[in-house]
Amino acid sequence: MKSSFAGVVCRLLVALMIWTPYQIAHAGMIGTEQVTQQSSQTDRSTVLNFVERSDVASQLAALGVNPATAKDRVAAMSDEEVRYLAGQVQSLPAAGTDAWVWVLVILIIAGVVWWAWKR
Amino acid sequence: MEALGPRIAARNARVLAGVFVLCLSVLLSGCAGMFPQTATLRSGLPGGMSEKVELKQVPFFPQEEFECGPASLAMALDAAGAKVTPEELVPQVYLPARKGSLQVEMLAAARRHGTVSYVLAPRFLDLLREIEAGNPVIVLYDQGVWSPLTSWHYAVAVGYDYDSGDLVLRSGTIERQVISFPVHELMWKGSGYWAMVAVPPERIPATAQPDPWLSSVAALERTGDVRNARTAYETFLKRWPENTNAEIGLANTLHAQGELPRAERVLRDAARRAPDNPVVLNNLAQTLSDQNRDDEALPFIDRAARLGGPHAAAVEDTRRGILERLSSKKKN
Repeated sequence: MKSSFAGVVCRLLVALMIWTPYQIAHAGMIGTEQVTQQSSQTDRSTVLNFVERSDVASQLAALGVNPATAKDRVAAMSDEEVRYLAGQVQSLPAAGTDAWVWVLVILIIAGVVWWAWKR
Repeated sequence: MEALGPRIAARNARVLAGVFVLCLSVLLSGCAGMFPQTATLRSGLPGGMSEKVELKQVPFFPQEEFECGPASLAMALDAAGAKVTPEELVPQVYLPARKGSLQVEMLAAARRHGTVSYVLAPRFLDLLREIEAGNPVIVLYDQGVWSPLTSWHYAVAVGYDYDSGDLVLRSGTIERQVISFPVHELMWKGSGYWAMVAVPPERIPATAQPDPWLSSVAALERTGDVRNARTAYETFLKRWPENTNAEIGLANTLHAQGELPRAERVLRDAARRAPDNPVVLNNLAQTLSDQNRDDEALPFIDRAARLGGPHAAAVEDTRRGILERLSSKKKN
């Protein structure tokens, strides 16, 4: 049930993305991103990147983001960022906590260390 | 039998005390090892750097439940001149099922508001330098410090006082949180000292290095914000003139805005200095061709094709296009 829903979302996203020209470089012009990327894989195909973008967008959708919004969010990422996220949206740090009890513990420990540091 | 209880309790207390003393001594002796960056900072700030800075003008948005990402980003963006509320940022960075925001999305969302987002080098001094330069810094903390207790949190560093060794943050629901350098480092270490700034396109972060900064600008261009990316490339070239990749970027944004003669001028300058750069030659040829000057474009694209390299396939496509237009012109 869940996976069939994910499948529908995924297909929907792929369909949406087909209408989005992700490669904004004008025909014939080699895009700036192609020459500034830090990684060695500068010649990866547009198709592969497109698939990764769809993949990340559907992962975001699976984590509760509205599919249309997910597409816009992925559109704001660079190729390298998409490559980095692909397949690990679930495992990378997602920060959201408020300052809480552990801060207190750390403050106490660090207070002692701080005292040592200043001494 | 009845004496056993207190005896065990007494022994437990001794064990606890022993553990405590042991922990304390480990902490004290391992001080520099636990806070390597703070220890390095002890030798003093580089000459000319302010000892005390606080960006009081950075607004405070208290976070709603789990939403330190949108709140932190809104504070940093406000300082960069982009007025946006945490509520508007929630659908751009927050992941409901993860109850948090990813680092990549913090960087990406900043671009949607016309700023260039930049990940700082993982150095404490760089963090202080950015604050000194007027850029609030978003830092990622692991408040749990120890991996089973991991608890990720974004906060915005807005000030420091070197003499007292304190950092000033806007964090969670606290408008002005003061924490000591070692505490900060302890929590910051878990994220690999991750920190980011978002600056308007007419500025460059104080600690920016040319290559990663150029990638950050290219990432903004990639989102389709050509106007701001163009400004950022112009700013880049003022600081680092004659950087071929930045010239390629500037020309691409000019081309996208339809300013072909200006794009041509930038690329011709670049081609004079880097005559063997196939990307410059390809883009110059395409820009000439788009101005209906395929005859002039041909020698450039031929040279690019002879040079080969990782963009050979794209160069070959451009060359084919130019040849086709030339042959169809001959027929007419």
